[in-house]
Amino acid sequence: MESFFDFLEKNSLYIVLFITLTIWIGIFLHLLSVDKRLKQIQKEIREINEDEK
Amino acid sequence: MNTFWKATLFVLMTIVIIAGITLPIVKSPSVWYELPNIPGLEEKAKIIFFHVPTAWLAVIAFLTAMVQGIKYLRTNNFEHDAKSNSALQIGMVFTILATITGSIWAKFTWGAFWHWDPRETSIFILLLIYGSLFALRSAIENEEKRAKLSAVYSIFAFLTVPFFVFIMPRIMAGLHPGSADDTNAGPVVDFQMNSTMQVIFYISLIAFTILFVWIWKLGYKSILFKHQLVKEYD
Repeated sequence: MESFFDFLEKNSLYIVLFITLTIWIGIFLHLLSVDKRLKQIQKEIREINEDEK
Repeated sequence: MNTFWKATLFVLMTIVIIAGITLPIVKSPSVWYELPNIPGLEEKAKIIFFHVPTAWLAVIAFLTAMVQGIKYLRTNNFEHDAKSNSALQIGMVFTILATITGSIWAKFTWGAFWHWDPRETSIFILLLIYGSLFALRSAIENEEKRAKLSAVYSIFAFLTVPFFVFIMPRIMAGLHPGSADDTNAGPVVDFQMNSTMQVIFYISLIAFTILFVWIWKLGYKSILFKHQLVKEYD
């Protein structure tokens, strides 16, 4: 762990890499959760429509 | 969008981020993972992996908006208006992002955030054209009228996109790489990039395209659901 920290201190480009990857993973996970929520809403709307029929 | 495309998007974009940021730029590349030094761009050339696909995504979005606009005019189905509207929103967001990222890059390459270079002028005009489309949409309350006008406008607006994105900045002299008098960078993609750089660039274009499809679907689904619920309870 110590040597990894030293490596990052000497090669700051990889810090940028990890920051960018973190942002990308965050955006991706957020999109996944919105996707899931919309599927749930779609299901609920379908159930409402079927109940009315 | 199914799990396959989501996984593909995640893998491709992660590859682009890792390769795009870490691969070294050297004077004369001798191994596959080294990228060539493009005069005038140097280390900043890496912006091409993120900035150009951003603009590409915007063009795809505006194209989608036009196609869905045509479909709306043919069918009068609200679904196509929702799809067109969602695409327009994403197109606008990514045009703004392309402008901002380009501007940050310009500060360190050309010395100031804004120069009214042909490329900057053309994207500014595009922002005005599509910005007024949103003003038009929000000004009309009647749903059908709004959809119809927006569809027609999105068709005419897209006719200007190839000119402002692909033609005007290339035939005019300017600072942006790929301008008519660009002796440093020239046609960047074809002549200055080595194959590794081209592969990363094209993977990035594919990844951004998948990203667009996903965000677009989320966008128009949410518009359609809201529409259904409003109809249900009003």
